[in-house]
Amino acid sequence: MGVEINGAVEGPIDRAVLRRLIEHVGGRPGVIHLGNGKSGVLGKLGGYNSAAYYSPWVVLVDLDDDFPCAPAARAAWLPRPAPHMCLRIAVREVEAWLLGDRLQMARFLGVPNSRLPSVPDAVSDPKSLIVEIARTSRRAAVREALVPSPGSGRVVGREYTSWMIEFGASREWWRPQEARATSPSLDRAIDCLDRLLAAVGTSDPPACRSPRPSLSS
Amino acid sequence: MPTMASSTSAGEPLRITRLELRNWRNFAQVDVPLARRVFLVGPNASGKSNLLDSIRFLKDLVEVGGGLQAAIRARGGVSAIRSLSARRQPEVAISVRVGTTSEPDRWEYTLSFSQGTGRTPTIKRETVARNRVVLLDRPLKEDRDDEARLGQTHLEQVNVNREFREVVEFLQGVRYLHIVPQLIRDPERYIGRPNDPYGGDFLEQVARTPRRTQQARLSQIVRALKVAVPQLETLKLEQDAKGRWHLQGKYVHWRPQGAWQSEAQFSDGTLRLAGLLWSLLDGQGPLLLEEPELSVHPGVVRYIPQLIARTQRKTQRQILISTHSPDLLRDEGIGLDEVLLLEPGAEGTTVRPASDIRDVRVLLEGGVSIADAVMPRTEPEHAEQLALSL
Repeated sequence: MGVEINGAVEGPIDRAVLRRLIEHVGGRPGVIHLGNGKSGVLGKLGGYNSAAYYSPWVVLVDLDDDFPCAPAARAAWLPRPAPHMCLRIAVREVEAWLLGDRLQMARFLGVPNSRLPSVPDAVSDPKSLIVEIARTSRRAAVREALVPSPGSGRVVGREYTSWMIEFGASREWWRPQEARATSPSLDRAIDCLDRLLAAVGTSDPPACRSPRPSLSS
Repeated sequence: MPTMASSTSAGEPLRITRLELRNWRNFAQVDVPLARRVFLVGPNASGKSNLLDSIRFLKDLVEVGGGLQAAIRARGGVSAIRSLSARRQPEVAISVRVGTTSEPDRWEYTLSFSQGTGRTPTIKRETVARNRVVLLDRPLKEDRDDEARLGQTHLEQVNVNREFREVVEFLQGVRYLHIVPQLIRDPERYIGRPNDPYGGDFLEQVARTPRRTQQARLSQIVRALKVAVPQLETLKLEQDAKGRWHLQGKYVHWRPQGAWQSEAQFSDGTLRLAGLLWSLLDGQGPLLLEEPELSVHPGVVRYIPQLIARTQRKTQRQILISTHSPDLLRDEGIGLDEVLLLEPGAEGTTVRPASDIRDVRVLLEGGVSIADAVMPRTEPEHAEQLALSL
């Protein structure tokens, strides 16, 4: 059993992804708080940060259109991170990290690989893109589950959440190791988790800063 | 008891596509489309249960031992059904359209009745249409000649409903569930009535299911229940010396062999979830669920809409759910056309799809969840007064 890492995320899909990532780096997912949206997470960030003085914490939020880049967002939201706090900002939405495993996502959605974006971090609205790709699926079940009905007023279909959780949570589907190769923002998140684990038990605070300057971190 | 709902050649089962009520309990006038999945949201006493009950009323018409008189009597008579805001019109009316997405008006059934001059409730009008072609329009000449006939619907009479038997079988397939855990645990439950919506005969219903189906469903239920109750390992049904059925659950325990517990020791949440899961697997006709969130952890409640959607993709059956739970409504796959908002007013409660409310649509476009857009509309204006009331 690895080191327990607690966390906070916006919604259930993010939670499934974060648990996978913690396991991927050899940690053990602890309590992962659901914020019911970004404001829910950011509103409690002070509390999470206090807790991160005592044990490792990961907070995952989407950048959306709030800031031009993740470092600016981080500086505004959490100017003084605790030693064991890792605030990660997915460039748009966590779905971009799922799209990073192109081969498996194409299989999951029943579409040719070529339908998947080669630079998922550059997709402005990954949720809508997944729905648009699902619309062209060979499999009726995929279309029915992920594409919203015309009168629903929603962006996603009725089963979108559970399908994305199924994809993200299952070792048979999503492979973070493959996905990080196409999503630099995921790559940095995994690096950050690695450092967080390595720093536990030592006095060194983990340096959750991007080794490379980029848009996302 | 027929359990198979009629279906079209394409395999899509029939559903209620539209419901109209006039002077029915809380409602002076209701006319709403019904999606395959419907969430009824409204303040306390706005009529969510009464709306579901109007559909149960139709089922009661066609039940063995049911019929118009019994259905009205079970509800306390016409005066109890008739809306308080119905001043001039003495009649109570209900109308449903039954069909599919491609054929929403396949059937239309309409019934209106009043107390009449005598002691028995009397039908004022009963009509059946198929694809808008009228097959029946009562009162007929025979009804006028012999008014006693107007005490019974044609729906409930096998010798006259042959042309629209499909509607009868469809309504017989309606299921309703509002499990009261105390009733399941009650050792006297055996005297309960069959198909008790409160779960009094829940275990007997499970026991009546053919063994292979029963075992397959119980293991599906354990798999699902483990999400909420990870200690649960197995479920089985056993009969005691007095012939009563008991649900036995094996829990992973500090003892090496684990420990068996019967339903008497199950938590309310476990029993209610087990009942919910069973009802989703049982039958194909419309399923009416009252507040499935009761006694269940909010972290589990939020996945109930996904559970229902996934079940429906396989069975396509219609499911109507009343709820007060923001956790349940937080699911981002719930469509605005699936939410019916009940709003009480001086002239009774009005019902409209959330998609008809501009503010709700706009809030959603701005990223607000359905729960946050709709729930404040159902909150009493001065709820804080409760704190000061005693």
